[in-house]
Formats: sequence, C-alpha cells, structure tokens
Amino acid sequence: MGDIFVLAEHRRGELREVSLEMLAAASDVAPKLGGNIIAILLGSGVNSFAEKLAGYSDKVLYVDDPLFADYNSEKYQQALSDLIGRYQPELVMVAHTTQGVDMAPALAVELKMPFVTDVVGLSFEGGELQPVRTYYQGKINADFAFKGKPPYLITVRESSFNAGDPTKFGTVEKILSPMKEDVQYRKFVEYIEAVVGDVDISQAEILVGIGRGLREEKNLPMIEDLAKAINAVIAGSRAAIDAGWLPHDRQVGTSGKNVKPKVYIAIGISGAFQHLAGMKAAKTIIAINKDPNAPIFTVADYAIVDDLFKVVPKLTEKLKELRA
Amino acid sequence: MNSEVRSFLEKHDLLGCIQCGRCTGGCPVAARTDLNVRRLIYESMDEKMLDKISKLPQIWDCTTCSTCAVRCPKGLKPLEVLIGLREVLVESGMVQPTVRDALESVFQEGNPWKKPRATRLDWAEGLEVKIAKPGEKVENLIFICCTVAYDPKLQDIARNLVKVLNKAEVDYGLVGDGEMCCSSEVYSLGEAGLFEMMVEDNTELLNSFAVNRIVTISPHCYSTFKNQHPLLKMESVHYTHLLCKLLAEGKLELTKEVSRKVVFHDPCYLGKKNSVFEEPRFILKQVPGMEILEFARKRERSLCCEGGGGKMWVETESLKERLAENRIKDARALGADVLAVACPFCILTLDDALKAKGLEEEMKVVDILEILNEAAG
Amino acid sequence: MKMFVCIKRVPDTSEADVKIDQTGKNVDSSRFSFGINDADNYAVEEAVLIKERRGGEIKFLCIGPKDSDVVIRMSLAKGGESAVRIEDPRINQKDPLQVAKVLAAAIKKEQFDLVMTGCMSGDDSNMSVGVALAEELGVSHAAMVKSVEIMDGKIRVRRELEGGLSEVVEMFLPAVITIQTGINVPRYAPVRGIREAQKKELKVLKLEDLGLAETEVSEAGSRVELLNLYIPVVASIAEIILGTPEEKAEIMAVKMVKGGLL
Repeated sequence: MGDIFVLAEHRRGELREVSLEMLAAASDVAPKLGGNIIAILLGSGVNSFAEKLAGYSDKVLYVDDPLFADYNSEKYQQALSDLIGRYQPELVMVAHTTQGVDMAPALAVELKMPFVTDVVGLSFEGGELQPVRTYYQGKINADFAFKGKPPYLITVRESSFNAGDPTKFGTVEKILSPMKEDVQYRKFVEYIEAVVGDVDISQAEILVGIGRGLREEKNLPMIEDLAKAINAVIAGSRAAIDAGWLPHDRQVGTSGKNVKPKVYIAIGISGAFQHLAGMKAAKTIIAINKDPNAPIFTVADYAIVDDLFKVVPKLTEKLKELRA
Repeated sequence: MNSEVRSFLEKHDLLGCIQCGRCTGGCPVAARTDLNVRRLIYESMDEKMLDKISKLPQIWDCTTCSTCAVRCPKGLKPLEVLIGLREVLVESGMVQPTVRDALESVFQEGNPWKKPRATRLDWAEGLEVKIAKPGEKVENLIFICCTVAYDPKLQDIARNLVKVLNKAEVDYGLVGDGEMCCSSEVYSLGEAGLFEMMVEDNTELLNSFAVNRIVTISPHCYSTFKNQHPLLKMESVHYTHLLCKLLAEGKLELTKEVSRKVVFHDPCYLGKKNSVFEEPRFILKQVPGMEILEFARKRERSLCCEGGGGKMWVETESLKERLAENRIKDARALGADVLAVACPFCILTLDDALKAKGLEEEMKVVDILEILNEAAG
Repeated sequence: MKMFVCIKRVPDTSEADVKIDQTGKNVDSSRFSFGINDADNYAVEEAVLIKERRGGEIKFLCIGPKDSDVVIRMSLAKGGESAVRIEDPRINQKDPLQVAKVLAAAIKKEQFDLVMTGCMSGDDSNMSVGVALAEELGVSHAAMVKSVEIMDGKIRVRRELEGGLSEVVEMFLPAVITIQTGINVPRYAPVRGIREAQKKELKVLKLEDLGLAETEVSEAGSRVELLNLYIPVVASIAEIILGTPEEKAEIMAVKMVKGGLL
C-alpha cells in the first residue's frame, strides 16, 4: 500500500522524457503516501532504460520479453492488469500521450479504477491526493479527488513536471513476463516515418509559428516576408496544417514536432496545450495574439496583445530596417 | 418532394442567350481569372455537363457585381447562372471548407463568422442606443449586419451610425441581439435551401416590429431585403437614403470642416444592382470643406472591390493584381486623400489593398458615416 | 458494414472568454457558440466515406438535450440511417468512463462492425470515451486514427503518434476506433438535405430504456469528484509590450535585433 506505479514510455530505442517527469511528480507525493516509487518497464532488451529509471525511482520492475518489442495496447493492458493485481499500488501513473490514452481508459474500466486524465498538477491536500487537470483548452483548472477505492489511475501531461536530475538509487528487478502467449486481437504492423519535406523545423534556429488567427492562406505572404527578414522557418499549429496552409512536417506540437529554437514567434496561435508542449522549450518566445487570455501568453517571454494584421507588417518593416 | 420541375436550362433561360459576349466583355474579374461566363452559359445547356462545370474553381471568382446583368442586351442575368452552378456543388456537399464553415455558422449561429449569437450586440457596449421592441411603433428599424457587428475593424461604423441618429434625434430602434444574417451572401454562395429558410425566419422576425422602414448599413442587406423578401411588410432603404433625407430636411447639420479630397467608390450592391448613385454624393456635398472627385469608372461602371459574391470566404486562384488594388491606384492617381465607401465589404477589401500597396500614410479608406460624424461635430 | 458514430455538441471555446458560474463547478456557457465536436465531425465524414466505398449503415449516438438535435440532423443529412439521442439529466457527462457506460448500453443491444468516436472533445479533452467504450463492449480498439482500411473481418489503421511518426495496427472486427482531426475533409450538409433528414428516425432514450441504474452513471456514482473550477494563475509573467500596434512592432523589432535575441 502507498506504492506508486509509473509506466515508463519508450519507442524505437528511446526512453521518453515524460517517464522521468512522472517519476519526479511521484516523488513529490510519495512521502505522504508512505510507499515506494516503482517504475514499470515493459520492453525487450532495454536494460539501459531500466538503469536510467533507477536513478529516479525506488524500484524498477522490468519485464524483458520480445512480445514487448513494440507497443501494443492489448499487451500493455494485460501486463499492467496482472502487475497491479499482484503488487496493489495505491496510484498508477501513465503518460497522457498517444500511447497512454490508447490504453489507460480501458485499464480503468477493467479494474474499476478512479481515473483522472491529462493531469498537470498533483498534490496532497487534507489527507488525500488531489490531481489537477484543465478544461476548455487550458483556460480553466480543476481540482479533483478520488472517491472510489485505490488503485487510482491518472494520465500525466508531458512537460507538466520537471524531471530534474537523478537522485535515487533504485533497484532493478527483472520479473517474469505476465504474458503466456501473444495477444489475440490487435497486432502491431509497422512504423511509418513522417514525409520529410525540404526543411526540418526541429533543427531551425528561428521559427515563426502560425495558427488559426491568420484566418486564410492568402495571408501567408505577410508571414513569409517576416520569415525572410530574419532567416526564420515557418511552422504552424495543427490548425494551420489542417487548413492546408502548411505540410504536416511543419506542424509543431504533440502530434507534430518538438522544437527548441532560439526564437519562436507565435502568430495568431492561441496556445492549445498540444502546441505549447511542442515549443515551450524555445529559448525566447514572442507571442502575438489579440486575446489577452490566450494560453500562449503563459509561456511567452514577450507578449504583444494586438491585431496581428497590424503588428506583423510593421514588425517586418522595422526588422528589415534595423538589419540593413 | 422536390418542387424543382424546371431544368437548369429552363430556370436560367439559357436558350435566351445570344452569346454576344457583352457579359464577359464587361466582367471585371474576367481579366484576372479564368472566368468566362459567356462560355459557361453555353456549356451549361448540356445538363449532363453540370456536375463537371460545378467543380470548376473559376465559378467562385464571380463577385455577383451585376455588371453582366446591366450589360446583357437580352435582359438576362449571367451571374445567376454562376450562382446556380454553385448550388449544384453546394447540394453535393463538396464545397470548400471555408464556404462550409461560413454556411454552417449562419445555420447555427445566425452569422457567417463563427461568432456566438449572444455577442452580437457587444459593439454597442457603453453606447447610448435604442433597441426596438416588437409591436411598439417606431419609424426606422436599424439592421446592423453580421460583418459590422462582429469585426472589430468595422464596429465603429455601427457606433457612428448610432451617434448620428442620436444627434439628429431620429426615431429609431435596432433589431437588437435577435438580428440574424440577411443571407445575401448565403444566396450568392449557392445555398438556396439555407437562403429560403433565412428569408422565412427574417421575414417573420422583422415583420414582428411595428415599423414602416428598415434601414441597413450594408448595401447587401438593403438589396436582399428590398428584392428578395417579398413578404416583408416594410420599405427597405440604405442608410444613405435616410441620411440624405435628414440633411435635406435640416435635421442634421454638418458644421465642422473636413478639408479633404474625397472620391466616392460606388458599391456594386447600391449602384449596379439598385441604381442608387445620388444619395451618397449628396451627403458628401453637404460636408463643408470637402472637395469631391470622381473616378472615371463611376456609377454603373464602378470597379467591383471583389468583396461580395462570397469572396470573403473563397480565395481566388489568380495571382494577378486584385481589383481593389487597381482601385486604390486610381484613387491616388486622382489625388484623393480619402476614398469614401458605403459598404462594409468595400471597406475591408479596399483597406487591405491600401495596406498591400503601402499607401496608408497617403490615403485613408473610410465609410461615409465616419466623415459625417466628424462633420457633425 | 454496420457502424455507430458517437457525436457530441460542444461549445467553441477557442476564442471565447471562459467564466466560471456561481456554483464554482460549472462554466457559464451563455455566450458561447456551439457546434459538433471537431474530431467527431471527422468521424462522421469517415463513416460516410466507408459507407460510400463498401456499403452499410450508420447510426449516430449522442448524449445531450434537445439542442443536440441540430448536430444529429446535420450528421444524418451527410449519410446516416438513424440516430439515438440519450437525454437524461442524471447522466454525469463529465466522467468519461460513465459516458462510455451509457454509450455501451445503447450499442450492446445491436450487432455492429465498427464504432467510431472523435479522439478528443474540445471542451473536456479527456481523450478517453472511445477507448473506455471498447473495453465496455469487449472489443479491440485503436486511438488517434489517421487512416482506415477495412479488410475481410479485419481493420488496418494508421495511428498518429508524436513527432510526425505513425504506426500501423491491425485488428479483428468488431472494433472501436477514435478518429484524429485532419483524417479527411468533412463535407457540408445543405439545408435541403437536413430538411430531408428530418424523416430519418431519431429515438430519444432515458436510462431506463438502456437498462442502466442511476448510480452507474450519476455524479454520485462517479469514482472521482470534481472539487472546484478556477482560472489558473499565470506561472511566469511575460513582458507585455505596450503602445499602438505599430509601436509594439517597433519595440519588439528593436529588442530582437539590438537585444541580441536573434
């Protein structure tokens, strides 16, 4: 009792940062729960991950089984269900990612777990765990409490917690795979790479991001002028790609690319968390949006709350002048 | 049961066309796009071709300015054929996403801008404004327009109108927050079913007011209420009609000087479509200090700004210079420092063109109401 | 192909000023515009495309009050056969697991090949209903689907992952898939078509019709409790540039060039 399970997420030879972020979040509340932080690693030949996770947890339960070479929600659910049954943790944390949301809700139904998604904060108030999530594209926060019996299940949003440095010396325990045979109903077939265009936005130093606020494709030349003036690459939020203004390889966000440029100028982007997650780490963020409550301003270093159609052309003009 | 027993050919009297080409010859967008309305009329005579023709991008280049209808020697309306072709595409459901969104927005929120109904009167906050009450007698029912109500760039026009009406102590009342899209553009986009529905709903709503006259800010609203709402129990006028009357009757006095060289751009939906040319000019002549210039292409020959006919929601394929930019160049060539307009679409497209040409220091695009407010002191 | 598509009418909050009402547990939605949830709209279109390719039937499911009929009729007009709207104020629509239970109860009674939901709702963004629904129905699922290929008794889907990567997954039918936005281009439902669609069957059901007990789906019966809603405090404050739009642009340009940001 009081233990916290953290499901490590990995893909194609990479342990994803959110795994460490969740472990860090767990360490904030673990003392109050009085149990251990246990990282769950389901994979094939990923010892190095186990070692890395050990730096952030009290114990790593590592299932090394070729059946887990690639993610499969059915397998993950079966394995977790088995492990939860055996170890009875109080809290189970899964990343709120394409992998996590593909599995966690089913697990919650199967084991009748109290379930809160997309958690951005976790605290211990009045003797109980209180996860925090957001509504309405991040405009509202909500505090939750668990009413039912543990184990509790939460999915945790990427980049909500800081992984920090490894400070623990967890033991790695290789355990027997709970899978007797392959699963019946769902089969992983293959990965497909994104179509590589002429530009890799994740390597660009300066990015100009466009969003719904640009309104129409015919307003793109104004952005192109700006980009040219400062040697920037144009990227976009999901809205810009769905609208067909930019190809998919220019999409910034959780279903696009993670970018860490020196400067990110967000134009007409409201700042849905999927987008923020992809560009929050930029060194300097300049946001131009006429809505003062746009979530983009929560990550911006400079806020220009105004009509982009008035600001951008003038910005380009002045930049050209100063750089001439 | 579909009551459309007439074929496309019959409905648009395609056989009446003598293929003289005066329509295409005068079509302002023919020079910059692939739109050849004469040829499309000919090809549309074959019912089997309609599906294919309806998918051509150029049918969306038409601004419904009505130059073709004005010029047709047989009194036909080529623009209606294009709207009919758009109707074919709309019924298939395969219209461009921007058109889809605008139409769905009118259907669900009563405006094409995806804005909530509830915020329709937000522009009037803090302003002393009279809202009409159904059944209560009032002389002038004021219809603002979706674009004016919701676009921050245009909301001042509504405020200016209210200020002028208050100043002249006019008996007026706004339709208020129940106001919904006049659907002139819904018609132009080819959504006949939605247009029919809106005409029914607007007729019912507007008739519930005890008024003799509805006054609109946009020529599009004015035109559709005047010509396409047969059961509407009131006269439909544009604000320039009302202001003309007020000035002529001495109820509004323009005392402040506005010394500028102004050229008036005849909006297609006032001029070409409804032959209203004098009223805006009369108003401008009353402004002290104003020097009035005229375009060579004036009145019926006014050059369409490409704001109407659904163009707010459909981008043209053409990369050639926009007509609005052409108009700006002409205004500058005349030496004008003010381009006066009387239509919200004209303001948007001409102001965009002004910025595109980088001439914001040299000239301003303003609505007549702004000039009036300044002159009224 | 017998398909169910779950749709929801949601507020458009992308531009809206979101305020919390007096109860502290609800949002004041009086000034919002409403429409079909974006991802659900893509699911509707995908179902219609599948039907056009392979034949079949589509039934729409929606939990909501009469206001939701508009989005149901628009979807029927695009190509559905019938719809079920579940209206019951006892249902806690904020708990995705309970929502899934309600939907499952409506679907369970019939034979089906494929159930589609949007991958996420624009207001609550739990991204959970579809996957929970699959578990309730005891069938396979895949979330965040960007392309669908129906084979004999099987379905092959491409799931959109992070970083522009996709994975292809194959499952046996019947299955549940949650649809990601951008998978297709949703068509327009002309008003004439919506009028025609009034003739299609739209059944309105309550909990009793679904054989569900109140405690299974009510707020009281939820395993989690919403304590309160609040506007988040902005963690780090951005430097707000002041002036006219032109002045702001100039100040920013100077900071970028002279301030060494570039």
